[in-house]
Amino acid sequence: MTRRDLWPAVEQLLASVERPARYIDREWAACHDEDAAYRAVLIYPDTYEIGQANQAIAILYGILNALPDTAAERCYLPWLDMSGRMRETGVPLFSLESCTPVADFDLVGITIPYELTYSNILETLDLAGIPLRAEHRTDEHPLVIGGGPSAFNPEPVAPFFDAVLIGEGEEAVGDIVAAHRSAKAEGLSRAQTLARLASVPGVYVPALYEPVLDADGRFLAMQVVEGAPAVVTKRVVRDLDAVRAPVDAIVPFMDVVHDRFGLEVLRGCTRGCRFCQAGMVYRPVRERTADTIVRDVMAGLACTGYDEVSLTSLSTTDHSQLEEVLRRLGRRMQGTGVSISLPSLRVDAFGVEMARLVSAGGKKSGLTFAPEAGTQRMRDVINKNVTEEDLLGSVQRAFEAGWRRVKLYFMIGLPTETDEDIRGIGDLVGKVFRVAREATPPQQRGGLRVAVSVSTFVPKVQTPFQWDEQIGFDEIRRRQSVLRDSMPRKGVELHWHDPEVSFLEGVMARGGREVADAVELAWRNGAVFDAWTERYSLSRWRDAFAETGIDATAIANRERALDEPLPWSHISAGVSARYLMRERERALSGTTTPDCSFDGCTACDACGDLGVDIVLGGASRG
Amino acid sequence: MAEGEFRLRVAYRKGGRLRWLSHLEVIHTLERSIRRAGLSYAITHGFSPHMKAAFGPALPVGTAGENEYLDVWVTRYTSAQETLAALKASTPADMAPFAACYVAEKEPSLTAAITIAAYRCDVAGKESTTREVQAALDSVVSAGSLSVEHKGKTKVFDLARSLPKEVRVTDREDGCSVELTVRMGPQGSLRPELLVREALRAASLSAAVTHTTRTDTLIELDEGVWARPM
Repeated sequence: MTRRDLWPAVEQLLASVERPARYIDREWAACHDEDAAYRAVLIYPDTYEIGQANQAIAILYGILNALPDTAAERCYLPWLDMSGRMRETGVPLFSLESCTPVADFDLVGITIPYELTYSNILETLDLAGIPLRAEHRTDEHPLVIGGGPSAFNPEPVAPFFDAVLIGEGEEAVGDIVAAHRSAKAEGLSRAQTLARLASVPGVYVPALYEPVLDADGRFLAMQVVEGAPAVVTKRVVRDLDAVRAPVDAIVPFMDVVHDRFGLEVLRGCTRGCRFCQAGMVYRPVRERTADTIVRDVMAGLACTGYDEVSLTSLSTTDHSQLEEVLRRLGRRMQGTGVSISLPSLRVDAFGVEMARLVSAGGKKSGLTFAPEAGTQRMRDVINKNVTEEDLLGSVQRAFEAGWRRVKLYFMIGLPTETDEDIRGIGDLVGKVFRVAREATPPQQRGGLRVAVSVSTFVPKVQTPFQWDEQIGFDEIRRRQSVLRDSMPRKGVELHWHDPEVSFLEGVMARGGREVADAVELAWRNGAVFDAWTERYSLSRWRDAFAETGIDATAIANRERALDEPLPWSHISAGVSARYLMRERERALSGTTTPDCSFDGCTACDACGDLGVDIVLGGASRG
Repeated sequence: MAEGEFRLRVAYRKGGRLRWLSHLEVIHTLERSIRRAGLSYAITHGFSPHMKAAFGPALPVGTAGENEYLDVWVTRYTSAQETLAALKASTPADMAPFAACYVAEKEPSLTAAITIAAYRCDVAGKESTTREVQAALDSVVSAGSLSVEHKGKTKVFDLARSLPKEVRVTDREDGCSVELTVRMGPQGSLRPELLVREALRAASLSAAVTHTTRTDTLIELDEGVWARPM
């Protein structure tokens, strides 16, 4: 096929849209290989400034472009002004690097980042001119493959993908490309190609799995086509140091979120917080060694020219060599104006000490802690192993060291929560404020700020709370008012998560394949960019659920029996159902479980089933 | 100038697709180029230390530039040519620096010094002749003033002052080019494509401005005597 270059048509549109830098490519380190035999486009289904910093895309982009005869390009969802102009002028969705129509690629990879982007996935396919549903695609169409954090329950978007990769992509992406290329070389049909893809470990081909529902529309079982695996288990990389970090990351022109060089210093987290999906699905913990981190940070800064590096992970202050890393980096960056940032802090003396190390001599912009719950009872239920003493001690140290702003994250609606637990949040915030005030010299107390962000708990699949109910609107509003009444009036900024948004998250998080009909209808009725507050409309989604006969409340707000068939049980993140049930029991009895990276094995079954080990400071702990 | 700091002036262009960048995006891009090039840039000593650099007057989104300038202070003296080569190798091609030299610390800042800008506006379409476009512009200029609406505010430009040189229209392959020189002031500068658009509109010509390029940014040494900043 001759390559179609849409740039002349695209450039015509730029004068009439906001932020044309979203669409122009040519950033530093963007790869251009228009003549490769096999071409993939990696799409983040949100705007450029949201998606550009995504590390998974950066990693896969680097790996694919290093494969022989293979090129990977990027694409983001155009903002409404641009997509409107594109539809008016007949310009389909295009890749950035070569401005090729997305539909002309061999492989279209779409990130499934979180529940509120599902309508964007349909918008992406539609703008590209690719049939929304896999079953309507022919040999002429590219393979559409999804993957990412929300793939652990892919069902609400499963009909829109030819295949979904479960888990980590570093090694799987090469296997997928090899399988697809061999299928093309052999002239296999689309159905045959999908069957071959299903034999790649970690690849889920929805067409080979048929949900069986009862007369009331409840999920009974998944019927699996012969030859496809009964359970698709996530891919996982054994050794993070063996995987090349994207040190030559693309450097955007425009301001984007996370506009800095990011290096993943460890993957996984075994603290075992029971509400946390990431902590369950990215096991086990695998650290990069201090030497690799220092080498890659210095290389990354030299390649990109950024003035800030972020050491990313689910829990960076848990890295066993963090102090050494920060001291070494601090010495090398002295006098360069380059700063280091840590995404989240452990609630203890060590956490504050690490924050002090990275801010040495520079500005102290504010610290963030996540106690998550207000009483020790509630924190024991969710296995957040943080005490009031830890938190107040950390706040005291931070304010004595010169910080004047602290941000606290809490959740309401957790299983077993009572009004006493909610009032506990207000009490705890009051104590934090008083400790912060006392640790601040009187003349500086005017600048003291305690920000409190309270989200509503959304039960996620593959966690011990996957069977639990999400509280309904009226109850959320009631508990929010209990919380408001218990909050100190002075010096505290309180932020809520919108309960209407949490509801949609809840439905998408645990919905089955039938929910896809509602996703499609909501999109047809105008849902897109639902994560952008001003664009979100609950009534549009409610109408879509009603019209497609979906009882959304029964998905989000209902507790399931432990023996109820779950629409996502053919997908495995490694942790066993047995472990999740045991953890749920311990939660209900208020029993905590230690962190298996530092204490004994807690038998989540991830290491054994996945054939991997915890890796700390370069050494495996089998 | 702090002891051991050298003020390096760099000329660069903003062209191709990068004309769609905003001034802030250009600044960030060049600062990152400077770091990638490994220049020994000086750091400000404020609350939030950052690279000591200063840029010439802003170019709007969509407008290209052929002679744009920045000053960066370095702490190690290396030959300007060597530094230029390193910078070129670490900057996106459409923003490539093409000249560099050291300037004295006592020289005024680029934003204070540069008060004259030369532009070329490409007008597309053969349906209006070069002569018609020239006449349209002459007619608007002879009216003496132009009021421009921008973000809800009306600004009136005295064209005799804003246009210190005659506006010239020349032929090109697919239409014509309007060459004009604008005097920049603290109250804002006349955007050349707005003048050309107004001229085309007033003369009922259907041609449209497709590309605007700032071809030069100049220092006024004496009334009517202009020079490049390096």
